Amino acid sequence: MKALDIALKDMTRSFRSAFAVIFMFGIPLLVTGMFYFMFGNIASGGEFNLPKTKVVIANLDEGGPKFQVSTKNIPGSRDADTMGELVVAGLQSEEMADLIEVSFARGAEAARAAVDRQEAQVAIIIPADFSRQFADLDGKAVIEFYQDPTLTIGPGIIRLILNRFMDGMSGVKIAVNVFLDEADTQAYALAGQVVRQYLDISLAQTENLEEVLLDVRAPASAPANDSAESPNLLLRIVSPIMGGMLVFYAFFTGTSTAQSILKEEEERTLPRLFTTPTPQATILSGKFLAVFLTVLVQVVVLLVAARLIFGIQWGDFLPAALTAVGTVFSASSFGIFVNSFLKNTRQGGVLFGGVLTMTGMIGMIGIFAMNSPAAARLGDTVSLLVPQGWAVHGLLQAMNGQPVTSVLTTALVMLAWSATFFAIGVWRFNKRYA
Amino acid sequence: MGHSIRSDPLDVKSVLGVVPQDIALYEDLTARENLTFWGKMYGLRGAALKARVNEMLDIIGLRDRANERVGKYSGGMKRRVNIGVALLHKPKVIYLDEPTVGIDPQSRRNILDSVVALKNEGMTVLYTSHYMEEAQELSDHIAIMDHGKLIACGTHEELVKLVGQRTRIDLTLNVEASRVLGSWQTVEGVARVSAEEGTISVLVEDSNRVLPRLFEAATRLSARITSVDIREPNLEAVFLHLTGRALRD
Repeated sequence: MKALDIALKDMTRSFRSAFAVIFMFGIPLLVTGMFYFMFGNIASGGEFNLPKTKVVIANLDEGGPKFQVSTKNIPGSRDADTMGELVVAGLQSEEMADLIEVSFARGAEAARAAVDRQEAQVAIIIPADFSRQFADLDGKAVIEFYQDPTLTIGPGIIRLILNRFMDGMSGVKIAVNVFLDEADTQAYALAGQVVRQYLDISLAQTENLEEVLLDVRAPASAPANDSAESPNLLLRIVSPIMGGMLVFYAFFTGTSTAQSILKEEEERTLPRLFTTPTPQATILSGKFLAVFLTVLVQVVVLLVAARLIFGIQWGDFLPAALTAVGTVFSASSFGIFVNSFLKNTRQGGVLFGGVLTMTGMIGMIGIFAMNSPAAARLGDTVSLLVPQGWAVHGLLQAMNGQPVTSVLTTALVMLAWSATFFAIGVWRFNKRYA
Repeated sequence: MGHSIRSDPLDVKSVLGVVPQDIALYEDLTARENLTFWGKMYGLRGAALKARVNEMLDIIGLRDRANERVGKYSGGMKRRVNIGVALLHKPKVIYLDEPTVGIDPQSRRNILDSVVALKNEGMTVLYTSHYMEEAQELSDHIAIMDHGKLIACGTHEELVKLVGQRTRIDLTLNVEASRVLGSWQTVEGVARVSAEEGTISVLVEDSNRVLPRLFEAATRLSARITSVDIREPNLEAVFLHLTGRALRD
């Protein structure tokens, strides 16, 4: 009972400190909020918005050998008699409507002039022999891409679309070449079916062009199943950041709250506590309980607040709860462990500036490397060297809908970290006050 | 009290109230919250705790400001809460470590009156102080410690007898004390001479007879006495007699 009294007293003191409350709740939500507003806006319901890129197309393609593709898989479901029309159909598809505003020019010069006059940001000039070159197994089909040099994002997106398309077309040519090399002459009639089949597959893969173009995803691992994916791109960006902030500041709070042991020693209230008929074990237990409960409150509040404010999906209850418990235990025990090595609170500045920031950054390195697959893999490995990394790992597992067994393993590792930190911290504090 | 500090430390602590020299309170909690928390640490609970906290707030005169954070209190008010904490559980023995250091005269008077009241209630008070007049006013028995060692113990009268009925005369000069020390030690009626920080303390049997002789000796040595303070036998004189030094922190 006395241990709980001590814990409640410590929590009262913690939550009365404006500085502590800001660091516990304000900063993590604020940082996440900054990213939220950088990548979208709440007013539009969290959709990811980019300004439309104005594209002027000069389709000069005169066609070539007749071919038909499966129109059901061409964005916009249009018939295409030439390769140029196929490109245009792709750019005019419904999926691209939010990204591209298409207009047409009669010739190449007119298209370039539109860009020069800044009436369009990109000109796409499909040459007259585009289809013929494509049909020629040794030919080279080229599209001219003319852009406003002062712009980057919009033209970059269009260039990416075209590259994807051209890659697909190159794949068709390779497939046909391979088919003709391997098949006997009686089977040449099937070449059209090979092309159609290839287009069906390659175009179907790019149906959701908006997602492909932006290529934004969670950093730690690919989603285990579609149902667990975040509902929009903005959340896919913000959720890991919020998770990282939650973990970083939970460890900050654990360390900061555990510092109250040293602070009470300096305020002389701890020696006074030892003069009361309260066993030392009870006093220290109360202090440790305060650290645990404070971090618990912080983690729960942040989880709920992030859900309500940003709509972040933390995954199913059990995996999220397991990760939260693991995070609370590891953050609080880490705080006790680190503080047990300090002589006084003045050394805490070095602690916060050095150890805590360094381990926190290492733990979140996977999130920072989210857009670089190779760096993300390396980051994921390195981050697991520190407890923060395991906590982030667990949160991302829960968010990505990974099975409870996977999350449980991560939680157990966190508990093992916690047990080690706690044992060392308690041993050192008991020794100190013996 | 019937308890061993070795085998029953918690039982001993339960009858002991400690008032540390430094303020040992939670400044971000109110006086009421502080008293309530410390009361719980002494084993008080529920209605009894609440009643005792209110009673203590009345005793220390802070009932009307009980819900203000201690950090906003003056030094004297903090001292009173500091003492109140130690009295919550009605200890049989209370130890006060220099409770009047650095506070205003009014608060000091309040604390001294409280200690006398506690003593009159039958509580054993262990009081440490550098102020000899406090010890003289409050104590039935006085122990003098120097360099961590007990050098004298007894009632006020018993200790004063250690220096006899000698009077202490503190003097300052317009020259270095060393110029007159040797001469004054030979003056008739002088029992002892010592100097510290520019003040010369002389223990004498009869100040009326000795003082003119000290002036004469000083004049012969071309020294001028710039101040004289005559102190009748008291605890400070006892300390000076026993240690050869004035009181220090």
